[in-house]
Amino acid sequence: MSWSLYLPVAGNSINILLLFGLGGAVGFLSGVFGVGGGFLMTPLLIMAGIPSTVAAASDSNQIVAASTSGAYAHYRLGNVDFKMGLFLLIGGVIGGTLGVQLIKVLRAMGNADFVIKITYVVMLGVIGGYMFVESLQALRKKPAPEGRRPEPAKVSVSRYNRFIQSLPYQMRFDKSGVTLSALLPLILGIFVGILAAIMGVGGGFIMVPVMVYMLRMPMHVVVGTSLFQILFTCINVTIMQAITNFTVDLVLAIILLLGSTLGAQFGVRLSRRLKADQLKILLASIVLIVMVQMLASLIIPPHLMLAHKGGH
Amino acid sequence: MGARSYFGQRLVAVPGLLLILSLPSLVWGASLDLKVFPSQVEIGAFFRGQRVTVTDLIPQGAEAVMEVVGQASDEHLMRKGRRGGLWLNVGEIDIHGAPSLYMAMSTDPKLLEAAAAAEPWGYPALKTQVTMSGQVQDPERDEFFEQFLKMKESEGLYTIFQEPIKKSPVAGGLVPVKGEFQLPTNVRPGSYEVCLSVIQEGRITAKNCGELQVAMVGFPAMIATLAYQHGAIYGILAVVIAIVTGFAIGFIFKGGGGH
Repeated sequence: MSWSLYLPVAGNSINILLLFGLGGAVGFLSGVFGVGGGFLMTPLLIMAGIPSTVAAASDSNQIVAASTSGAYAHYRLGNVDFKMGLFLLIGGVIGGTLGVQLIKVLRAMGNADFVIKITYVVMLGVIGGYMFVESLQALRKKPAPEGRRPEPAKVSVSRYNRFIQSLPYQMRFDKSGVTLSALLPLILGIFVGILAAIMGVGGGFIMVPVMVYMLRMPMHVVVGTSLFQILFTCINVTIMQAITNFTVDLVLAIILLLGSTLGAQFGVRLSRRLKADQLKILLASIVLIVMVQMLASLIIPPHLMLAHKGGH
Repeated sequence: MGARSYFGQRLVAVPGLLLILSLPSLVWGASLDLKVFPSQVEIGAFFRGQRVTVTDLIPQGAEAVMEVVGQASDEHLMRKGRRGGLWLNVGEIDIHGAPSLYMAMSTDPKLLEAAAAAEPWGYPALKTQVTMSGQVQDPERDEFFEQFLKMKESEGLYTIFQEPIKKSPVAGGLVPVKGEFQLPTNVRPGSYEVCLSVIQEGRITAKNCGELQVAMVGFPAMIATLAYQHGAIYGILAVVIAIVTGFAIGFIFKGGGGH
């Protein structure tokens, strides 16, 4: 029996089991950490021979399924803060729009690729490094109970708390157990949206640390809320890509999403067994590995001095 | 002005006609002997590439070069360069006139290996057809043409085959030849020209051409039509399928999930 399947928009045949396995592995990580997995899946698909534009757009489509599955599972566990998610989503849409315009300006100036790559490496390095060190310290000192919020240095906490409390439009977010200004998730959503647009990803791996460290949400609510927010971001991206660039390959997306939705379910189960700091240190390790791989690709001379437009 | 132009054309056309008449052995065009099998390739849901066989008859002592050439199109590429110690995409290069597919095979592989720009086959001949525009300087063109070939070869779309076209024993004063090649899985739907040049004493004495049609059929054709002609419906359908699948899988796993 042939396991090859032709992908009509990608214009190539590929092994179904390979795609299913890729989808399953990335969906598993999505369920565990509440990230869309775009920063992992898109490069893996390109390596498998899918054109980069089709890989990114079809990946958004499969993230819709994985995040639906994951968000639904977390919703049943009571882990989705819809109110917080809505503010982050509105901010994300505004930030995404601003980010797209920023990329247009940078492309006109000829600096887009430099900014994108540097942003990627710096963001992955800073987020991964901070999460790794902070989680490692927490694990060494005392095993934190599941879902407990991180406890950064006391001085910075009090300063940051004072800053948060001084902001207008204070609001209670019951599910997350925090009271803060509605402006904060909105502004942070805009910030993540800009970065996500520059980097061409859903932004889950930036949003998760932002929710943990800046919005002080408990880790289990962070994962569910992040998936809820990613779902809507990727619905928008999928429809826009299908209309403007014709780069969504439905066949590719369906195979990936079958794998990823299954993987996400197993991921959600594992996330409930792991402690918050264990989850963070694992995510930090993956983020740092991707950062090192990207940095290496920037430093080591490329095999080919030409690439298709739209690729990395 | 019009009369001068008319006589000018006549002056060029007459020697050209005489040249053609002076070469009675040169046959250029479709041949009844050249056969491409299959001449129509269908890309279905389980397409894994296609083995294609080309047969023809050539005179005894002659050599042959077979070429499979796709339609020329423009390619929009990015060139890489070093900025601040990092390797990045630093500018756009547009390639014009390069075929979407180029495959060549010969009864004597040396004909392809040593092909010069003057020969009408092989990569050196392609180089004379391809032009570049964008952020590329004249001294860099050779280097970036080589890079372009390398990229196309890595994608399986350009190949100079090492295995030769097979010759069979002479029959009726002519030698049956057979070339076999594999169409890659990423071949684009469209029309491809398959030509076999007969070479005697270092020059082409005949060129027989046939056509190879590649078309998407069945489910892939339906999906491609929907994607390219009804983008909005296709995008919404893709999202609905994703959400329904996500919920369905979530619902199936509900029993084991707990609260």
